[in-house]
Amino acid sequence: MDLAWYALLGLFFGGYLVLAGYDYGVGLLLARGGGPAGRRAALTALGPFFLGNEVWLVAAVGVLFGAFPVLEGELLSGCYPAVVGALVGVILVTVGVQLRSRPVDERIRARWDRVVVVGSVLAALGWGVLLAALLQGVPRQADGHVVGVSHLVTPFTAAAGLAMVALVAVHGAAFLALRLPAADSAVVGRTHRRLVPVALSAVALATVVGLLSSRVRDSVQRPAVAVLLPVLLVAALLAARAALARQRPGWALAATGVALALPVALVGAALWPYVLVSTTDPGASLTVADAAASAPTLRLLGWVALPLLPALLGFQAMCWWVFRGRTDGRAPVYW
Amino acid sequence: MDTLLLARLQFATTTSIHFLFVVVTIGLVTLLVGMQTAWMLTGNPKWERLTRYWGQLYVINYVLGIATGIVMEFQFGLNWSGLSRYVGNVFGAPLAIETLVAFFLESTFLGMWIFGWHRLRRGVHLALLWGVALTAYASAFWIMVANSWLQHPVGYEVRDGIAHLTDFGALLTNPSLGMAFGHVVSAALLVGGMLMAAVSAWHLIRRTPDFALFRTSLRIGLVTAALAITMVQGFGFAQFGPIGEVQPTKFGQGPEAQTLIAEWTTRFGPGDYTPPVLANVGLGFMILIGLTLGCVWLLLPLLFRDWIIRLRFPLWLTLLALPLPFIAVILGWIAREVGRQPWVAYGLLPTEQAVSPVGAPVMLTSLIGFSLLLGTLAVTNWVLLARHAARGADDPALGRPPAPPNEPAHPEPALT
Repeated sequence: MDLAWYALLGLFFGGYLVLAGYDYGVGLLLARGGGPAGRRAALTALGPFFLGNEVWLVAAVGVLFGAFPVLEGELLSGCYPAVVGALVGVILVTVGVQLRSRPVDERIRARWDRVVVVGSVLAALGWGVLLAALLQGVPRQADGHVVGVSHLVTPFTAAAGLAMVALVAVHGAAFLALRLPAADSAVVGRTHRRLVPVALSAVALATVVGLLSSRVRDSVQRPAVAVLLPVLLVAALLAARAALARQRPGWALAATGVALALPVALVGAALWPYVLVSTTDPGASLTVADAAASAPTLRLLGWVALPLLPALLGFQAMCWWVFRGRTDGRAPVYW
Repeated sequence: MDTLLLARLQFATTTSIHFLFVVVTIGLVTLLVGMQTAWMLTGNPKWERLTRYWGQLYVINYVLGIATGIVMEFQFGLNWSGLSRYVGNVFGAPLAIETLVAFFLESTFLGMWIFGWHRLRRGVHLALLWGVALTAYASAFWIMVANSWLQHPVGYEVRDGIAHLTDFGALLTNPSLGMAFGHVVSAALLVGGMLMAAVSAWHLIRRTPDFALFRTSLRIGLVTAALAITMVQGFGFAQFGPIGEVQPTKFGQGPEAQTLIAEWTTRFGPGDYTPPVLANVGLGFMILIGLTLGCVWLLLPLLFRDWIIRLRFPLWLTLLALPLPFIAVILGWIAREVGRQPWVAYGLLPTEQAVSPVGAPVMLTSLIGFSLLLGTLAVTNWVLLARHAARGADDPALGRPPAPPNEPAHPEPALT
């Protein structure tokens, strides 16, 4: 039961990073120039999926609170600056994307687009730091509380945060290559090709710093799984690059999507059976079982989630199906 | 400044801003469902124009509802980790159900509704709006289930200092839930109706071109507001009975409250167990506003032969009354939440035990940062709402037909 809910939590958070990841990627790439028309086209490509993507985060935190209340309190309050940073980023992107086209003045729109760029960087950075903080352990005391915020400031969290920004940018470029009209798609394809090496070096840097960090080495319960993470990330990035070179943007997007889901799955697996490994007191580490809600709560939520999950995924799939394909002059324009 | 006070201020700020937007969301979406259904049934293009115009205002308003909603959700873990630690087994369940059953589906449906004009079949498109509305109500329901549990914890047992769920049905039949849910939902309808009436009144005062359109929405708004204010009053006064029984200290100092305070003093030690006076002040002013708004019934006879428009001063009254329901919902929320103090879960978990062990500087930074951010965004959002309301129903961006295939897409300035 605990494991099923842990997997569901991973599904929603991983799904959030995969789907909202390209929101933030497109948001980042608004900074690449191309003028008002280029930014207009990018946001139109994103349009119908945006609201449905962002809400995966809400579901993930809902599952976190309902099924892992202890973890919710300790993780969020224990990693306060990282969570707040990501949250501010999420809000800036959410509001910026939805409101940028309401003013008529093109200069005001450009200002909103800068808000979206900043928000995208903050969101990617925040979630990258949070995942890295899990992997390197937190100073959880015997009384069950995580103390202080300075544990978040390490070379490893910085490197992982930057790697997440790079991954998100590659993912966004792959999405635009799939959705934009064929002519614009070639341009963004070149951006994608330039971004892949950047992402590869960021992943390599995070890997080296992680391997050198004694905190990471001590916290990881399954080193083989942890080492697998960068290997698979590199493979996914290379696959994305190869797919785009062969004019298969769909496969490229799938590969970069895998690259964004991998950190969630493998950080969870590498720490198992723990979820918060204490760096100060080995006895204070929090296992998944201890973090989970008690059995009656999980049973109740299980009965709710079981019939609901197909509906949730089904309506999301409906959205993807209805608005599939490349955008053209007849694509609905709203944000 | 201690962490507890800062955390409470942050929660109060975020909730207040959130509440101002979600009441409009629930109120307007109900009226939108009526308008789009009328369009489907009659085929009259007037209803399509009304749906697009009010739909655009609804969508702009929704932006801040979702942004503040996300902050609310995170705040439980960030600032109130004691809440999830001691009562998360019970309190977390309705919140988790809300995100999955309601919030998730609502956003998915809304995204398809916004972009689905001229692309989906009209029946499917209408069904999506119905879905948005139903999930919005479901969202309000589950949030009220969670909140009512904090007002009056039921269906749990405490083992090793932690509450465990024993009877989920008790959460749904909580005496502090039923009337309060009706009250909040009617208040949302009141706000939606008043907003619609006031914006229409402004257009009619200014004699903007769309007379027939705004005449219709003025009538819809006023009738909705009149029906809603009566329900608000009914559900409101009906709450005093159950609240007096389950929360004697909230609005009274009678013998029951004294007995309960004596019991708490033996169980939790001596302390100040009376809620701040702010709760009762809020209640008093809210009732005053509620009774004043009852006068909206007096305007209804003037709908006959458009006397309300010909006389003009009733239009001014409608317009000037717009802030009142917004003030009332905030006061009502203060009465309910501040009246629960000093408990986060009434008689079970003191507020000071629920706050996260975060340093005051971090909490202060977070308070100032989020207040500034959400405050700025809220004001920006209202400015945009006012501009779009004033711009009128001539070609809103929502539901604009795509350019014909042989012509270039709309020139850039038209893509507002």
